[in-house]
Amino acid sequence: MSYNDENELTAGELELLATLPREKMPSDLLEERVVRALKQAGYMGSGVVPRKRGSASAWKVAAAAALFAGGVATGRFVMIPDAPQSAAVAAPSNIMVRDTSPTNIRSLPVKGEMIVAETELWL
Amino acid sequence: MSISGQVPIPQLTTAALNSESSATRSDAALIAAAVSGAEAAFRELFRRHTPHLLQFVTRVLGPSAADAEDVVQDAWLRAYPALVTFRNDSSFSTWLCSVGLRAALDSMRRSKRHIADELFEEDSAQDPPHQEDRMDIESAIARLAPGYRMVLLLHDVEGFTHDEIGVQLGIAPGTSKAQLFKARRVMRALLTGREKNA
Repeated sequence: MSYNDENELTAGELELLATLPREKMPSDLLEERVVRALKQAGYMGSGVVPRKRGSASAWKVAAAAALFAGGVATGRFVMIPDAPQSAAVAAPSNIMVRDTSPTNIRSLPVKGEMIVAETELWL
Repeated sequence: MSISGQVPIPQLTTAALNSESSATRSDAALIAAAVSGAEAAFRELFRRHTPHLLQFVTRVLGPSAADAEDVVQDAWLRAYPALVTFRNDSSFSTWLCSVGLRAALDSMRRSKRHIADELFEEDSAQDPPHQEDRMDIESAIARLAPGYRMVLLLHDVEGFTHDEIGVQLGIAPGTSKAQLFKARRVMRALLTGREKNA
């Protein structure tokens, strides 16, 4: 079923709708009621200004960042006295150093030399 | 316009507000002053927009219109904390009517005169009149079922689009079109006194 063409308002109906009053005056007390209710809710005249939701989120992010930075700083402060001791404990007692001096570098033996050397070990 | 798309609201102090004439104060200036706590600015905003809001809420409530001023008060209590989020994408009056619509819907749900599920039921009119009755358009709108009445008011009286109505009422735009189709049909029948044949 189409809801478009067959149901358009006629000129007479549009005119009728246009005659509808657009405003209705409230009672004299309504304004005072609303202002009083707003004050009771703490919004007006109490120095409380509604804040944007975005600014509240920014404060939360800033607080989280400050908390994290504080945690890092505290952690470092606590760990610093132990650092030298930890380094000493962690230091290796033996260090393997690769000696690349020319005297210690030999070329690999050729295949025949390896066999001779192995035979000499058996004898 | 700022990056966020929000039009910056000019800052206006109470003193500056008092030095301006009523005609030159824009809604944006009044909103900025009201947000900063200026009571005079809020009262000016209230006086400027409440008559339209009250008329709109009265029509939305239909038979429950006796509660209209309570709903308007509720709407302003909701609107004030949200003033800082108002964007000049639409007129302040339109934005305020949206707030008023939600307040009216909540009021109707609380009073249990119309629970949420009944808002868009396949109903033609409340308490149908006799066939020979002809009524003025204001009465005809008031007699429509709540779902029909709201869509017809928002579209044909307030000028909302079906997409906007869908957002406001939490329905699909297609549902809004269907409701408007039926609402107009029932309203015509009420206006011509042929309700039974609609």
